[in-house]
Amino acid sequence: MKIQYDTRKKLAERIFLIEILKGLALTLKRLFTKSVTVQYPKERKKLFPGFRGRHALIRDPNTQATKCVACMRCATVCPSRCISIRFSVDKKTRARKVNSYEIDALRCIFCGYCEEVCPVNAVVLTEEYEYSDYTRDPFHFDMDRLLKNWDEFLDKNKVDQDKYRNPFLRPRGLSLGDLPAGKRIDVPEEWTYEGQVIWKDGKAVSAKEAASE
Amino acid sequence: MPENRVESKGIVKEDIAYEPYTIAMGPQHPATHGVLKLNLELDGETVLKCTPHVGFLHRGVEKLAENLSYAQTLPLSDRLDYIASMANNVAYSIAVERLLGIEVPVRAKYIRTIVMEMARLTGHLLWLATHALDIGAMTVFLYCFRERENLLDMFEEIIGARLTTSYTCIGGVRQDITGHFLESLYAFTEDFPSKIAEYETLIDKNRIWLKRTQGVGIVTAEEAVSLGLTGPTLRGSGVDYDVRKHMPYDAYPYVDFEVPIGSKGDVYDRYRCRMEEMHQSNSIIRQCIEAMPPGPIRAEDAPDLVMPYGVQKEVAADATFSSGVIKLVKDRHRYMDGDVYVAAEVPKGELGFYFVSDGRGVPYRMHIRAPSFIHIAALSFLCKGQMVADVIAVIGSVDVVLGECDR
Repeated sequence: MKIQYDTRKKLAERIFLIEILKGLALTLKRLFTKSVTVQYPKERKKLFPGFRGRHALIRDPNTQATKCVACMRCATVCPSRCISIRFSVDKKTRARKVNSYEIDALRCIFCGYCEEVCPVNAVVLTEEYEYSDYTRDPFHFDMDRLLKNWDEFLDKNKVDQDKYRNPFLRPRGLSLGDLPAGKRIDVPEEWTYEGQVIWKDGKAVSAKEAASE
Repeated sequence: MPENRVESKGIVKEDIAYEPYTIAMGPQHPATHGVLKLNLELDGETVLKCTPHVGFLHRGVEKLAENLSYAQTLPLSDRLDYIASMANNVAYSIAVERLLGIEVPVRAKYIRTIVMEMARLTGHLLWLATHALDIGAMTVFLYCFRERENLLDMFEEIIGARLTTSYTCIGGVRQDITGHFLESLYAFTEDFPSKIAEYETLIDKNRIWLKRTQGVGIVTAEEAVSLGLTGPTLRGSGVDYDVRKHMPYDAYPYVDFEVPIGSKGDVYDRYRCRMEEMHQSNSIIRQCIEAMPPGPIRAEDAPDLVMPYGVQKEVAADATFSSGVIKLVKDRHRYMDGDVYVAAEVPKGELGFYFVSDGRGVPYRMHIRAPSFIHIAALSFLCKGQMVADVIAVIGSVDVVLGECDR
């Protein structure tokens, strides 16, 4: 496709600055439309679920401790190697117990791989993004701090833990067979493999609905 | 070169050795789009020689990749061209998939094409904003960011990050799209041509814009090819080369679009090319949404995120539920020996990934053919004989991002 343009101007356009007046009219028109600026500290945008913010370890409501089983998948997949886990093995039951779980948030690149590979949904990146500080120490999250991050997130956003759904805890559009047992949580219909959306007649409908019609 | 003869206010001084005036433009100069440093040798206001200095943002991505698995390198590709990181993700993924011989499901192909074209829009919008701001049109900057914000919001909806997205994975995409995303994107594409018309109202026929762009930084088709330019910078000179058309990947064979081509090869031509590309991207997104098929979003043989060697599951022939159902077969030679070069059309031009693999889970060597790096190398040719003010227009028109150049 050859671009055709003709920038030669008619006599009237050359004399009367018509193109500049058109531009000025546009900016003047915009003056009377609704402003799109978000006045940040006063008003905040609503984040979508799954925003990759501050790290947290989900507190298990039954044991009040972390759900982590020290499988080391998150520490292995982390591209910036910011997760370090220490664990001990019970000699009788061969069960692993997490002794320390540390995340260096200043090294983290927020790719979300850790929460995606976690088989028991223990580690999560919460929708919390305002946590700046003056020193480096507050960004070295140990296990207590990570559990506290989770509590703070629940308190601040008034989230019910049972109803909290993050697309990284169960990635959207995967069938159940692709997921380990711990990640097979209930999610909205739209997030499941069966409920995935396609486009039909000018609106998004689930593929199942479209097939049944 | 100037002679050794200076005439000033009627007084003639002979045999004065005078050299061209050398100034350093950048690396903090706001119009150099990052940390680009240009050493300009000037005769008055005419540029005699322009020497680009790069490397201020070097992070060693290529070397880092040699110690990370293929999946782990993907978030680093966000940090190349950070204003259109989705396009880098897709380019990286198709390169690794070609190496591994993975065929991506159709739905994932369509989703990738959508996000790639969205990335092209974000890239071109930011380019138009800063290019116009450099030349002196402030309002276009604000209007472009208004639309870019909408696109970044949609990125946030599907993957949870606005700039460093890491959306694709090897063999598909990480998250499926939602209905709200599709509907808001479709509404955006219906509205977007009128927004492009707004930008064009402001600058397209503006006499200041025309004087600053027409006849500036001319590069003929032959010179452009020999300089290695790609993307809209090449197409502005009239060369019909687009990776999407000539080496199609993902869903590009299934959609109908045209490649805009300029004629003169000046800054204005490159500007028109990108504006037309925005229209084309818009139409590609619409076609992909309308043809979005159902199906899986990841290939069955896609490698696991954690295990770079890819443990394969094999069901034994006499398997029942109670007796050893699944045998895990560790196939270390799944990654082929050999090398592969795969290119994709990103907003800046042809982004290519070259892998040399020795069969391990990590590349032996990764090389990135970054369009920005090659375009910066062409700056010394493009700026020769121009005025100092035109250097700004030329930098804007070749559209460089230093994160990708220095990588």
